[in-house]
Amino acid sequence: MKTVNSGSFANNRNFPFMLMKIPYLILLPALLFISLCGQSQSNAKPRHFTISGKITDLSSGEALVGATVFIRELKTGAVSDIYGNYSLTLDTGAYSLVYSYIGFVTVEKKIDLHSNQTISIELNPHQQTLKEVEITSEKDDKNVKKPEMSTFRMDIKTIQRIPALMGEVDIIKAIQLLPGVQSVGEGASGFSVRGGAPDQNLILLDEATVYNASHLMGFFSVFNNDAIKDVKLYKGDIPANYGGRLSSVLDVRMNEGNSKKFEVNGGIGIIASRLTVEGPLAKDRASFIVSGRRTYADLFLPLSSNKALQNNRLYFYDFNAKINYRINDNNQIFLSGYFGRDVFKNAFAGMQWGNETATFRWNHLFTKQLFSNFSFIYTNYRYFLGTPAGDNNSFEWLSNLRDLGLKGDFSYYLNTKNTIKFGATVIYHMFTPGIARGIGTETVFSEVKVPNNYAVESGIYGSNEQQLNSHLTIKYGLRLSMFQNVGPGTVFHYDSTHAAIDSTVYNPGVLYNTYAGVEPRLGILYEFNPKSSVKASYARTYQYLQLAQNSTVGTPLDIWFPASPNVKPQIADQVALGYFRNFRRNTIETSVEVYYKWMQNVVDFKDYAKLLLNSKLEGEIRTGKAWSYGIEFLVRLNEERLNGWISYTYSRTFRQIAEINAGSKYPAPYDKPNNISVVLNYNISKRFTVSANWVYATGSPVTFPTGRAEVGGKIIPIYSDRNAYRYQDYHRLDVSLTFYSKPKPGRKFTWDLNFSVYNAYNRKNTWSINFVQDKENPNTTYAEKVYLFGIVPSVTFNFHFNND
Amino acid sequence: MIKQILTLALISILITGCTERIDLTLDETYTRIVVDGYVATDFGAYQIALTKSTDYFYNAPMPRVNNANVTLWDGTNSYYLNETVPGQSGIYTTDSSFEAQVNKTYTLQVRVPEAISGHNTFDASCHLNPVTPIDSITYEFHPEYGKEGVWFINLWAQEPGNEVNYYMFNLFKNGILMTDSIQKRTVSDDALINGKYMTGITVFRLNNAHKWMTIAIGDTITLQMSGITKEYFNYVNQVKQAGFNIPFFSGPPANVQGNINNGGIGFFAAYSNSYASKVVK
Repeated sequence: MKTVNSGSFANNRNFPFMLMKIPYLILLPALLFISLCGQSQSNAKPRHFTISGKITDLSSGEALVGATVFIRELKTGAVSDIYGNYSLTLDTGAYSLVYSYIGFVTVEKKIDLHSNQTISIELNPHQQTLKEVEITSEKDDKNVKKPEMSTFRMDIKTIQRIPALMGEVDIIKAIQLLPGVQSVGEGASGFSVRGGAPDQNLILLDEATVYNASHLMGFFSVFNNDAIKDVKLYKGDIPANYGGRLSSVLDVRMNEGNSKKFEVNGGIGIIASRLTVEGPLAKDRASFIVSGRRTYADLFLPLSSNKALQNNRLYFYDFNAKINYRINDNNQIFLSGYFGRDVFKNAFAGMQWGNETATFRWNHLFTKQLFSNFSFIYTNYRYFLGTPAGDNNSFEWLSNLRDLGLKGDFSYYLNTKNTIKFGATVIYHMFTPGIARGIGTETVFSEVKVPNNYAVESGIYGSNEQQLNSHLTIKYGLRLSMFQNVGPGTVFHYDSTHAAIDSTVYNPGVLYNTYAGVEPRLGILYEFNPKSSVKASYARTYQYLQLAQNSTVGTPLDIWFPASPNVKPQIADQVALGYFRNFRRNTIETSVEVYYKWMQNVVDFKDYAKLLLNSKLEGEIRTGKAWSYGIEFLVRLNEERLNGWISYTYSRTFRQIAEINAGSKYPAPYDKPNNISVVLNYNISKRFTVSANWVYATGSPVTFPTGRAEVGGKIIPIYSDRNAYRYQDYHRLDVSLTFYSKPKPGRKFTWDLNFSVYNAYNRKNTWSINFVQDKENPNTTYAEKVYLFGIVPSVTFNFHFNND
Repeated sequence: MIKQILTLALISILITGCTERIDLTLDETYTRIVVDGYVATDFGAYQIALTKSTDYFYNAPMPRVNNANVTLWDGTNSYYLNETVPGQSGIYTTDSSFEAQVNKTYTLQVRVPEAISGHNTFDASCHLNPVTPIDSITYEFHPEYGKEGVWFINLWAQEPGNEVNYYMFNLFKNGILMTDSIQKRTVSDDALINGKYMTGITVFRLNNAHKWMTIAIGDTITLQMSGITKEYFNYVNQVKQAGFNIPFFSGPPANVQGNINNGGIGFFAAYSNSYASKVVK
């Protein structure tokens, strides 16, 4: 055992990955310079001015994210950012500005531009009564015109219409219906994006990382739909402002709260109830929202005839809160938080797990063209399990992962042809991988502790979206990421057989290992005409944290562990090419995308790996390469009555790791080549909608026995190559019907009643297959399929009250 | 220790799925030798069973390996094991006066008349670790658990602190082995209890609803505690899980890791035993 007392960068073995901060300083001015140069020739003479402002929802005051401002004369425009802000810099002249957003009435405004102007617009949500207007209105054409691909944005209204398991509307279950996204198992909250592992998805709730997005072993996700405004999934073409995960970013934004009137929303379902209160703190300036949800299935357990169940508790709850205050046109602050817990208790033991996140944000407009946002972020995922004190077997076990983060993001709307974004982020990670110990005076247990460790993850980025001409737009950006392990920490050294030989202990504050990554993000858009375009993108992503999980679905006890002297960062390169075509005034969006993704240093584990409470976890890891490719077809409907999407995906994913499967390539756990999703919602009348989704996927790859042997009175399997077999194909139909209360203008109380059926044709989809020795005849072995759900009907009542 | 705790905690919150017997077509595979047996510190005859592996749905008694030459070497002496029914049983036994000794390494050598998976000889070695004596055992009956209550069998003993120890527990009722298959035994490491005096640690939880676990007043319960190697500890754990896949926490299925060379399956173990008994009143 040796101790390093001082000196940073004690570990130089990773020299090729090491990068000092110098390139960071060079990068940003260079990016700005390039784009400025491009402009100085063409825009030298005419005078130009900036129009900026905020686009909000007239009914609630909520910022509209991704609303478009289109300039008829120039056939160009801008898109509002996540705070609803937009900025356009144009030459002097007269213009018609068209403000539009899906589900809202389009507003057209004529202006005469000869000075900088602030134009904030409130858009009016579509009402059924305004139908005549809508039919003629142009839908938004971002699908074709935005230099962005492999993404999917859904507002909460769309998600709420999708039939859900036990009526519990779930963002992640909705995400799993998108092309290129696979569920990791029946009913599970984990998902695999374009062949990636579930821990390769960055899940953000108001910018805070959510490390475990599941409740109740994954059957529900942590996102309470009443508190959520919208979600956006990046499957590729990940913008330079995001980093830290290989495969995707799921950016979930919470509602800001109605700044115009008080509202109460709630719902009563078969397993959970929800209640949300929101309203203005100061009209049009400040608002709040608080939202809670709790399951109550366990409240019925005392009625059970099984006395062992009567004292059991199994529930989860969530609490979301957010306030925002618009200090003036240039400054707005937000404070948001999430707290959720799963609790399980019986006579013998108790278990709790959950996330807590807090985000403080200051949104500041330096000028009409330079917007900024500064965030301070805290997140904590922890679990606890144990038995009550006072017994000789009393013990507790806990683990947590906490982050403190700071972020600054800037958008510079140079002119209609250039949008520059840059920023920096730093996160301090604190890992408590696990402590188990006896509690109370009677206990016989001592303590087992995996040493805590710490790391700093930072990034700096710059990007520009540049419209070269009316057909061609390019996007180029660079993210530099850095990851440093910081003492105190214990690093074990492993020999070639992965056995620990000795260890080094580092003192507090010592930076003992540094990795850095250069992550280019490139995109190109070529518009053939206003209805069709082709896009291509390339993104390199680095991942420095991973989940120690070797099961397919995982448990709340799985821990995250960082890159270290023994664990190299994972790296992915993804290229994608797509054709995009809109029909019928943009109400039908279609696309075809092909992608290929190469991943290095991907993590798998040796057979029978010990992943929990193991200070030598790094000795259980086996790394290698993975690759995936696929083609995704998508038709998205935004028709007045019929909306939803239909998608087909063909994709493959393989891994090759020296010490797994004798070094031969094998299908990755979520390799399901054929995938179909049909998600449709049809408004039969103003008071009645019907929704259905049907999913089909090739069965998951699985390892089956080919032989058997008898030892110790038990027949044990002898297995095939890794993942040489597949489960039966998966398919399922869910349907739901929703009745709404009679629409009447000015009504204070409205409600809806939703009936849904999960797995409507009672398909017994395989969850797992066990190989069992017959009890009566021990020489007989048979295969036994485990499936989780038959038909699951449910009913949910939702209500809405406002003091308008 | 940690593993037991984890299993208890997780199993108790599992949402039980529905099961259905299904027909599967599986590929065929080549034949391996299967070696299964142990020697221990008690005086007696020890048996090694030699069988062959088959395709998975063979559904008949496993074929035996007959007429093998089986010897045991303890570093000094060599012992010859005879087939109990020559040419038929596939079970090879020491003579009835055999007694293994702690801190010796036992090597089993099997020579088969016809090559199996391309080999004629198979070796396995196991160190015989000592075990701490059991001071006493106690029992508790908890009617509140399960349908018909659960018996707890608790261990009182000093755990040696200077090394990492692994234990296997067997249970006898009136001199008859209750834990008559590997599935029914418990194994534990000494994490959380290293160097401690174990004041009634629960080593068995016997669900009275299961026939083999029933205990009645008047029965004499005997706990056998064995000092085993880390490799055997891992092996027993793997055998116990083999065949079951729970997507929450099962890793990818993998072959059980034994100690037989040349592609053989199974384990030849050597261990020490200590005992304590109690009459249920």
